[in-house]
Amino acid sequence: MSLATHPLTLTINGRRYGPIEVPEGMMMIDVLHEMLDLTGSRLGCGIGICHACVVIWDRDDKTSEEVRTCITGAGFFDGKRIRTIEGIAQRDDKGEILALSPVQQAFLDQFSFQCGYCTPGFVNAATVLIERLKRAPVPRGEVEAVVAAALESHICRCTGYVRYYQAVRDVILATPGLTQSGA
Amino acid sequence: MSFRRLALAILVVAVLVVNALGALIAVRLLSGQTGGPPQVVRASAEVVARGKYLAEAADCAACHTAPGGAPFAGGLAMPSGFGTIYATNITPDPDNGIGRWSADDFWQALHDGRRRDGQPLYPAMPYTSYRGMTRGDADAIYAYLMQLRPMKVANRQTKLDFPYDIRLGMMGWNLLFLRNSLPPTSIGSSPAWQRGRYLVDVLGHCGECHTPRGGLGQMELSQALSGAVLGRVAAPDITPAGLAARGWTGPGLASYLGRGIADQGSAFADMHQVVMLSTQHLTPEDLGAMTTYLLGDSPPPPAPQPAMVAATATAAAGGAGRASYVALCGGCHGLEGGGLPNTVVALRGNSTLRLADPRNLIVAMLDGIGPENFPGDASLQAMPGFADKLSDEQAAALANYLRLVWGGQKPDVTAAAIGGLR
Repeated sequence: MSLATHPLTLTINGRRYGPIEVPEGMMMIDVLHEMLDLTGSRLGCGIGICHACVVIWDRDDKTSEEVRTCITGAGFFDGKRIRTIEGIAQRDDKGEILALSPVQQAFLDQFSFQCGYCTPGFVNAATVLIERLKRAPVPRGEVEAVVAAALESHICRCTGYVRYYQAVRDVILATPGLTQSGA
Repeated sequence: MSFRRLALAILVVAVLVVNALGALIAVRLLSGQTGGPPQVVRASAEVVARGKYLAEAADCAACHTAPGGAPFAGGLAMPSGFGTIYATNITPDPDNGIGRWSADDFWQALHDGRRRDGQPLYPAMPYTSYRGMTRGDADAIYAYLMQLRPMKVANRQTKLDFPYDIRLGMMGWNLLFLRNSLPPTSIGSSPAWQRGRYLVDVLGHCGECHTPRGGLGQMELSQALSGAVLGRVAAPDITPAGLAARGWTGPGLASYLGRGIADQGSAFADMHQVVMLSTQHLTPEDLGAMTTYLLGDSPPPPAPQPAMVAATATAAAGGAGRASYVALCGGCHGLEGGGLPNTVVALRGNSTLRLADPRNLIVAMLDGIGPENFPGDASLQAMPGFADKLSDEQAAALANYLRLVWGGQKPDVTAAAIGGLR
């Protein structure tokens, strides 16, 4: 008996992959790790709770959202564009990192994480949030609540969240255009 | 004008005539009271404990405790086709609750649907079911409620549309629809069956949701417990035939009512609340009695799990349903629908998939199901909703795939049906 496979073609971090034959029922996290050598996304709970495994799905309408790769089959991503933690920092033509994203830098500066296992998920969640605020700024007084709502589904077992939340809040407040002026 | 509408019109006229007559005599009949001293009830600890158990069996808290509110202090809004009805404060507060009520007053409310001031209650208060309660049980519930901490929580005003806002109209309604006992829904005579009938039809007032309602909000007793539509969700058929068709057995039902989780699925939405507030507190004997009554003294054999192979179902549902299942559901529920023990319910053998009415399945797919705690420190994680990831067509194909492969149901869910439930 051979395993049924389905062809998968998608764009990850701006690069086109596929078509590759993926066994039916394989979750996207396993495709990233085992078939595409993109090992930065973390498999945590495996049942869609901890959100360490999220990638960013860039929809055609220019909005983006997080998708949990541990419970989402590879077939869901066929024809779609996604970003993983490997695609967040700026890189040169050879793939060398030129600069971390403001979110990544803030997490380092503020010592937001300790073991780092949940960090790829937090980076992606904060990235999605900041891009959303560029399209739809919020009053400055609402920033803390907005950050909490955007990150609350992500579980961290080391730091108690405070430094993650503070880092994202500070990036938002320091970046022009993410908050409504005069509010 | 269809026959149904004509019949409804005749019924409305009849009710109004009865109302008018009723109103004439009501002034004399309704010798209700409003004042009076706060009652002091001296009951033994044993009676109070029995009253607590009975209040749980009767699930008083389901309506009389609002979400986040003090126990039994009322406030839950119950929207109906006739307007919104608010459950009342039944703590012994003398001004807002039942502190001035006597045991007779309490009995009158449960048995006749009349408030202490003589005004009729609306049948959102299930006196149509509670009418079968024994006086002793009603008195024990009264004794339990009267020793609770009084809560100074004002009642919210029920506001119904005309003509339903005329409470005296309920006298006509009661003449037409109030029965001393509800028809049995299974065949039996054993002591367990009789106890179960009392627990299901009277205390548990299961028919208030599971029996379809007629045009004036009355239970259609000829179809008792055969299932009803409650807005976006369906209260399933819980007659012996309906339960057996979906694979239910006595032990399965007892597990579902006692723990909220069974091989046939877990309690969600309103039934989760019923389990947590009411049925989990019942003794094993009473749970057994309920299942004996629901299935009858000679339970019908459960229908075997429909065995359609995935490939056949895939072909019949057009392929898109299987693809969505593998992409969005299989990660937790498993490609073979087995679920994960203590974590994710199995879809193979799941009662909700075997229900002819697809709306509970569709609503679960679209909205997801929140994380839920269950008796005995059990819990099930949240299921995400997929409303934003499935188009109407994709959701219909997925629902049809699930109905075919594990439900034994027709793949008759349309995209329009999905759209209507969003």
